[in-house]
Amino acid sequence: MPVVQFAPFASLVQPGFWHELTRMKIDVLRLSEDAITVNGSYSVGRSIRDRETGHDIALGCNLTVGEDAYQKAPQLSPMSVHTTGIFKNFNTIEDFKAADKAALINDVVSKIWDSIITTKDTSLLTQFLLITFADLKKYQYFYWFAFPAFVSKPAWQISENGWKQADEEIQGHFQLESIYDSLLKTTRSFFLVKEIGGITEVGSIEQYEEFFAGVAPENRVIGFLDPSALPENPGWPLRNLLTFLRAVYPSQTSSVRVLCWRDSERPTAGKPWRSRFGVVSIGEGDPTTKPSAIGWERHPTTNKLSARVADLAPMMDPKRLADQAV
Amino acid sequence: MHAIQQQYWAVRDYLSPVLKESKFKEHGRITPEEFVAAGDFLSYKFPVWTWEKGDASKARDYLPAEKQYLVTRGVPCLRRATSLAYTDADEDAERLLSFGDSSGTADEWVETHAGRGATVDSAANLGEIDDIPDLDGDGLASAMADVSIVSETGATVGETPDLDDIPDMEEEGLEDGEDEATMAPVVPKAGGVIDASQIGVANGNLLQVRTYDVMITYDKYYQTPRIWLLGYDENRTPLTPSQIFQDISADHALKTVTIEAFPHSSTLQAASVHPCKHASVMKKVIERMNAGVVEEQLAARKNSGKHQDKDGKKKWGFGRKGAKEEGVKSPVEEEEVEGMRVDFYLVVFLKFIASIVPTIEVDSTTAF
Repeated sequence: MPVVQFAPFASLVQPGFWHELTRMKIDVLRLSEDAITVNGSYSVGRSIRDRETGHDIALGCNLTVGEDAYQKAPQLSPMSVHTTGIFKNFNTIEDFKAADKAALINDVVSKIWDSIITTKDTSLLTQFLLITFADLKKYQYFYWFAFPAFVSKPAWQISENGWKQADEEIQGHFQLESIYDSLLKTTRSFFLVKEIGGITEVGSIEQYEEFFAGVAPENRVIGFLDPSALPENPGWPLRNLLTFLRAVYPSQTSSVRVLCWRDSERPTAGKPWRSRFGVVSIGEGDPTTKPSAIGWERHPTTNKLSARVADLAPMMDPKRLADQAV
Repeated sequence: MHAIQQQYWAVRDYLSPVLKESKFKEHGRITPEEFVAAGDFLSYKFPVWTWEKGDASKARDYLPAEKQYLVTRGVPCLRRATSLAYTDADEDAERLLSFGDSSGTADEWVETHAGRGATVDSAANLGEIDDIPDLDGDGLASAMADVSIVSETGATVGETPDLDDIPDMEEEGLEDGEDEATMAPVVPKAGGVIDASQIGVANGNLLQVRTYDVMITYDKYYQTPRIWLLGYDENRTPLTPSQIFQDISADHALKTVTIEAFPHSSTLQAASVHPCKHASVMKKVIERMNAGVVEEQLAARKNSGKHQDKDGKKKWGFGRKGAKEEGVKSPVEEEEVEGMRVDFYLVVFLKFIASIVPTIEVDSTTAF
């Protein structure tokens, strides 16, 4: 059986975030290099059909931070979920380069693992890490994201059937309709679905035991809001969710029926749902010891582990803007 | 100079009175209340559009605090408008939206490639579009270079050094080896879904998928909506002004589209379509559509709605693919013949904007 390959998060930083960082750096943070908490968000994976070639093009598994990242409760569009990150801005490029990246990510990983073991809650599972250096005079922002993920040993495997369209695997449209309605009301990062006597119910992961009490394994589904739009690759959040389930409910989760939720709109008549469904399983292992973790984002052009630069001079430097205005 | 000009605009905007009386059919302008109504309709019908409150210190008091402007994020843009180079075969695909009264060319708008998706066979077309012109090889871009944007080092924007290639930023040994459960970045596969960042690899640089954040604000001076664009390339790096101009129809880049301060943020700059002609164009479009809608409503009353669906498509003469029958039905049901309702203003507006930015899929109203 093939190993499940997860589509990693890709960071998308809106220019508003850098504008706000400039303001924060001058007015609030000043010379402080303390870590603060910021907000990010991700939404269901989207794809677009190219009208000229007929291909579906996936629009990336994005985690977005924007202008509202420093606020307490940012606004969210429907079918998007909010996640928190640890943000650290360095004063010099030398400090930025010299920072002990391994230690930084290990701190976050430990926090996530503690939240799994002690509080058994899922709110920190997608926590990210962001380090920056802002060269305010040149309008250049060096940054590096990490999306910590636990490495399961052995790896999760997808059943022979592979990933299928959710409406092929889950009986008819009825279930998906009610899941859609429930998610539209309260969009959750992770959720449970059960079916009893033709009625579909959606619940939160934290109530796993009560929710699934007396429900046959084939009527249980674990769902998550999937930022990936690639048919064979579930998004990054599933990785830590599976680790969570393994660690907290080891006896019931050697095989998990997974629903990758990808529908932001109710499909129009005749069109299939975009969500995917698959059964993943894992071999013998010790789920209760802390697994190793990975997560630094690779540079999109070189695919190496390295920081990136956002050069906003063309959009921020008053001189260049003045030249451009004719 | 530019700063002074912007100050002047700010003052002019501040002094100009808020439009009170609704006359959108007479002159194409709308009041803030109508803007909110049309925005509510748009965000209700198409949830990709949402209201934003923006920077509180920049809030306009004639709009509700929670409804300062509309935004939709991550709008895909598969090709460059500059890559839609004209060939003889394409000439037919261009529709001159000439609403000309006697004033001549000033009132003409070009809707480029009006029938492109439908008329061009996809397999045959593949060969034609395979060069996306490089930034400096292309007419518009070199025109851009002429208008300067010369940085201190003398390099033009087109030659901006790739700052991402900073060798010592790379970290060796941070993570050991490849992780088997991480998706490999290269997945070009025929027929399947293609990841946007790999599109260049998959199709031999046929496509570079950019995404745009699109905002609609209300311009008090011109009393029309105004569109703003923030772009990202396939690696999610913000686009420079000259890159954004590649996605704007050559007839409008540098003329009606400029980079300006976004009114609901203290520092943000974004590309914007200048609204000075919006009202007159909208008036013409609305007049045409309204005539169709009124006719339709009269016919519908006579026929008691038997052929509603069929005729509904014709009503939106300007729209691509008869987009919004659902929305049009509601006035049909009403007793009075009132023509087009102001709620549709932004839907129509987006169709008009789509002709200026032909490759940005801003007009989500056709996707249904």
